[in-house]
Amino acid sequence: MADELVNLTVDGVPISVPKGTLVIEAAKQAGVLVPHYCYHPGLPVAGVCRMCLVEVEKAPKLQIACATTVAEGMVVNTQTTQAKDARQSVLELLLINHPLDCPICDQAGECELQDFVFQEGRSGTRYAEYAKRFNPVEDFGPDVLYVPNRCILCTRCVRFMEDVAQEPVLNVSERGDRAFIGIHPAARLDHPWAGNVVDLCPVGSLLSKDFLHKARAWELDKTASICTGCSQGCNITLDTRDDVVVRVRPRPNLEVNRYFICDHGRMHYRWMNRGDRIEAPLIRKDGALQATDWDEAFARVSSILRGASGKAVALVSPGASTEALALAKRLLSGGGFDWTGAFQVVMGEEAPLAGVPNLALRAERAPNAKGAEQLGYTRDYAAAVAAAQSAAVVLVLDDPDCAVQTSGALIYLGTVLGPDAPCRTAEVILPIANVAEEEGTFVNRDGREQRYFQAKPTPGMAQPAAWVLGELVAALGVAEAV
Amino acid sequence: MSTSSSHAADHIEEYRPVFAGKVLEELQTLLQRYPTKQAALLPALWLTQRERGWISDRSMAEVAEVLGITPAYVKGVVTFYTMYHQHPVGKNFVQVCTTSPCNICGAEDVVKAFLEQTGAGDPGAISPDGKWTIVEVECLGACGFATPVLVNDDFIENVTADRVAELVKKYR
Amino acid sequence: MGYPHKPHPKETVVLSQHFGDADARTYKGWVKRGGYDALAQALKTEPAAVTEVVKESGLRGRGGAGFPTGLKWSFMPKEKKKPHYLCVNADESEPGTFKDREIMRWTPHALLEGTAIAAHAIRAEVAYIYIRGEFTEPWTIMEKALAEADAAGVFGKIKVYLHRGAGAYICGEETAMMNSIEGKRGNPRIKPPFPAAAGLFGMPTTINNVETLAAVPQILKRGAAWYKGLSLSNPKSTGTKLFSVCGHVQRPGNYEVTMGFPLKDLLYDMCGGVPAGRTLKACIPGGSSVPILNREETEACLLDYEGVVATGSMLGSGGVIVFDDSTDMVYQIMRLARFYAHESCAQCTQCREGTAWTTKILERILAGQGKTKDLDLLLDLSENMTGKTICVLSDSCAAPVVSGIKKFKSEFEDYIAGKRQPVLVA
Repeated sequence: MADELVNLTVDGVPISVPKGTLVIEAAKQAGVLVPHYCYHPGLPVAGVCRMCLVEVEKAPKLQIACATTVAEGMVVNTQTTQAKDARQSVLELLLINHPLDCPICDQAGECELQDFVFQEGRSGTRYAEYAKRFNPVEDFGPDVLYVPNRCILCTRCVRFMEDVAQEPVLNVSERGDRAFIGIHPAARLDHPWAGNVVDLCPVGSLLSKDFLHKARAWELDKTASICTGCSQGCNITLDTRDDVVVRVRPRPNLEVNRYFICDHGRMHYRWMNRGDRIEAPLIRKDGALQATDWDEAFARVSSILRGASGKAVALVSPGASTEALALAKRLLSGGGFDWTGAFQVVMGEEAPLAGVPNLALRAERAPNAKGAEQLGYTRDYAAAVAAAQSAAVVLVLDDPDCAVQTSGALIYLGTVLGPDAPCRTAEVILPIANVAEEEGTFVNRDGREQRYFQAKPTPGMAQPAAWVLGELVAALGVAEAV
Repeated sequence: MSTSSSHAADHIEEYRPVFAGKVLEELQTLLQRYPTKQAALLPALWLTQRERGWISDRSMAEVAEVLGITPAYVKGVVTFYTMYHQHPVGKNFVQVCTTSPCNICGAEDVVKAFLEQTGAGDPGAISPDGKWTIVEVECLGACGFATPVLVNDDFIENVTADRVAELVKKYR
Repeated sequence: MGYPHKPHPKETVVLSQHFGDADARTYKGWVKRGGYDALAQALKTEPAAVTEVVKESGLRGRGGAGFPTGLKWSFMPKEKKKPHYLCVNADESEPGTFKDREIMRWTPHALLEGTAIAAHAIRAEVAYIYIRGEFTEPWTIMEKALAEADAAGVFGKIKVYLHRGAGAYICGEETAMMNSIEGKRGNPRIKPPFPAAAGLFGMPTTINNVETLAAVPQILKRGAAWYKGLSLSNPKSTGTKLFSVCGHVQRPGNYEVTMGFPLKDLLYDMCGGVPAGRTLKACIPGGSSVPILNREETEACLLDYEGVVATGSMLGSGGVIVFDDSTDMVYQIMRLARFYAHESCAQCTQCREGTAWTTKILERILAGQGKTKDLDLLLDLSENMTGKTICVLSDSCAAPVVSGIKKFKSEFEDYIAGKRQPVLVA
C-alpha cells in the first residue's frame, strides 16, 4: 500500500516523497546533504545544533530541516546567502571553544566538524578572547573516553542512551557555555550497547579507548562484513590498516541492526589477526605431520574418502560460512556415506537494545547456527562425537577445541590448531581463511542470508574453506548433494 | 518555610536516607499531584536540600531510586537549576542581585560590603567561621526595591551598602 | 504606586486596588471585597462562553509576548479527549519586572480566582502555578491563600497546585516551564507541536502569566466592554497594565495605567523623574529583552503594544528600567549580556556560544582592549543570534547590544579609543 506522496523542490530539484518525511531526509533524494550535527535518523529529533538551517519559501524565518516536515509545493533552498551565512555562523560559534586538536585527535579524517567547516566555514576565526574553556578528559566507562573541550553538545550520545538504550546514564550538566556531558559517579557507561555513542559523536569528543591513537582514518581500508559475535547478524564494516583489522563499526541496515552494534561484537575482532595460524596443508607421513602442497593434500583426502565407506561424521563450527557447510555436507553425504553433521554453540547472556525491535546481543554466540540447521546439521553434538568414534571418516571444520577420537580417518580444516589440541591426531590438516579473509554468507537467527566480503589476505597457503571443500567435491566427482 | 537545615556530612558516616518517616510522607503527598513520578523531582530535591542543606551525589542517587529514574538524570537536573547546592554552604546563604536595574543602584557595593564584613572574601566561598556564603545572582524580581537580598529564605528589600552591617549583625 | 502604596491620581487602579491592604490577602477579606463572585458565575457558564468574553475584552498576555488571551484559550481542542492542563507563569525573572510578585503578595486570591476561571474555560482538570524559587514570601502567602480557598471549596473539581522553581530564567518560557514541571531540565521545546495540541505530559495545555489571569475576574465581573474601553490610543491594546518602574527614578514601584499612557508622564509625573541634578539618558520600556530607547524616544513613547513598537522597542513585560546620565551604558549592556549568558539553557549553538562571546567582547572593551572592528563583530554576531534558535533568549541578548551600539556608539568608541578609563581588569 503506497504512502501518500508529497511533491516539493529542493535546490531546484523536484522530488516526491512520502507524507511525513522530514526535509533533511527528503533533500537526500535531491542529492543534497544538508549539513547537520544533532540530527540522526536513528535518534529522536532534537533541533538544537541549528546547523541545518535552510530557507523555505514563504516562511518568515530560516527553518531547521531536521524538524520541518515536507508540504505540497514547498520550495526549499539550502544555498541562499541567508542560509549559508547562518550556517557559517554556527560553525564559527562551534569553533570558538573547540580546540585545534586535529593533529592529535582520533576523529581527524572522519570528523563532521572538519567536513562542514571545510565546505561552508569561515577561513579564519574572529574570536580574539582569552583561554577557551578547559575541562579534563573523563573516563566514562569500559571503553569510552570523553574529551569535554571538543564536545559540541549535539546531545546525540545523551539521546542514544535515553531513548535507544533506555538507560539514561549520560546527561547534559550545567547551563550555557559551561555545559558538558555528565555522568553520575554511581553509574558507569557500561551498557552492552554503549560503544555506539563513539560512532554517533560527530567529533572527537567521545572516543573508543580500544581505538585510541591506533590509526588515522585515512589509512583505513573499509570492508563490508557481518559480525560473528552472535546470531543477530549485525552488519559491520571491518576497518583494516596494513591488512590488520583495527576496528569494527556498524553498517546501517534498517531491517537488522539499524545503525548500531553491541560492544561484544565491537570488541570481538582481535582473533581475526592471530598470528599462530596453520599456514600450509599438513598430511601424516610415517606417523608425523608434514607440510605439503594442496595437490598432495587433496590427493591424500581423496584417497581416504574413496577408500572408506559407512558412517561419516562432520563436526562443524556454527561460524563457518553457509557455502563451506553446504559443501562439507555434499562431500560426505554425496560421497555415499551415512552422514551426520553436528555443531555446538557457545551460549551467553542476551542483551537487547531496548529501543529497537528485534535487536539484541543474542544468547547464541555464533553467526551461522541457523545456516547450519537449515542444511541439516543437528545440535546434538555429544551424540555426533559418540558416533564419530566408530565412523569411517570424521571431518572437523574450524573447531580447534574439538576433542573427538575415532577409529576412522580424521580430517581437520581450521585456522589454528594448538600444540596440544586433540585434533593433532588427524590424518590431514588443511588451513583455511577466517571471516575477514574470505567471502561468504551467514544466515542469521531470523533466516536472513547476508554476505560478507574479504577484508585482508589469507596467511600463508590458507584458502577459504568453501574453496577447499569445493575442490574436493570436484576431485571426487560428487555432482549433486543427496 | 522552614530554614533549619542540618549540614550532615553524609560521606563520613553511613548514608542516612532523606526519604524516610515524615519526609517520605511529604513526598508521597506531592506524588499525588502529578501523573508521573518524575514530575516530583524538583519538589523532591527541595526536600533534600531542606533536610541536608545541600544535595550530594549520594542523595541524588537516593532521589533517583525513589522516583524510578537514573542518578545521571537527577544530576543533569540538579546542575541546571542554580538554587540547588551541590556542595555545603555557609549557615547563611546570601544571594545579592546584581543585574542591571539593581546594578545601577549600587548592588555591587552591597556585594563588596557583605564579602568584607562577613569575612567570606570571595563569592561562593564559605567564611572561616562557617556562617556565611555570599553569591551574586541574577534578577530577583524586586527591581523597584533595589537591592533585594535573600538570606536563606528571608527576602530583604532595599539593601544598600550602609545597611549591610545591621544585616550581618542580625543574622550572625 | 510607589511605597507606601498610595495610588497616584493618574493611575487607573484595577489589579492594584488592594495593594498594601493585608486584609485582602485572606479568603474572608477577599470575599468581602467582592472576590470569588466571578468564579462562581463562571463555573455555571459554558466554558466556550467564558472564552468569548475574554476574547471580546481584548486582553493580551502580560508576560511579554502580548498574545491575545481569549484566542490562546480557543486553541485548546474543541473535543475533550484527554486531560487538559493550565500552567500559571509566576516565574517572573525578566530584569526590570516585579509586578507578578506584588500581585501574589497582596492579592493572591485574585490570581487564584483568575486561575480557576481560566482552568474552567479551557476545561483543565489541573492547574499548576509555577512560582520561581526565589519568591519565598509570595510562596508562603500563596500557600496560605490556596489552603483557605481549597477549604472553602471554591474551585469545584479543579485542582490547583503550587510548583516551585529552582533558579532558571529560561523556565519563564512556556515550553521550558512545561519541561520543568515534568521534572526535566528547563529546556524550551521545538514547536510544533504547540502546547495546545501536546503540552504538559503530552496533553493539551495553556500557559498564562500571573498578571493576565489576575485581570480575568474583573473582566468577567465588569464586562468585556468595560475592559475594552480602557484604552487611550490603540484599540488593539485594551485594559490596564502594571508597569514596574525601577532604576534611576525617585519613586520606583508598580504603576497601573490604561494602555496607551504616555511613558513621559509615567516617569516624570508619577515616578518623580530621575534623581535631582541628573537627566534621563536611556530607558528600557519592557524588561531587558527589548531594545533600549534614548531620551527622545522615551519622551515620545506611548505605552501600548503597537505604540512601543512604533517607537522602536516592545512593551514586553512592562518592566521599565530608567538610566540617568551617570550610567555607563557599555557596562550595563555588558551586565545584561552576562545575564543572558548565565541563563542560556545550552541547547542552541548561537545562544550557548553567542551570549558568552558577546559578554567577553564587551568585557574586553571595558578593560580597555577593544578595537573598532569589535562593534561590527558584535552587530554581526547579534544578527546571527536573532531568529535562528528554538526560543528568543538569544534574540533577547542581541536586542540591548544592537540598540545600545546604535544609540550610544560614542560611549563604546570612548573605551576603544582609550578616552575612558577601563573599568575592568583584562
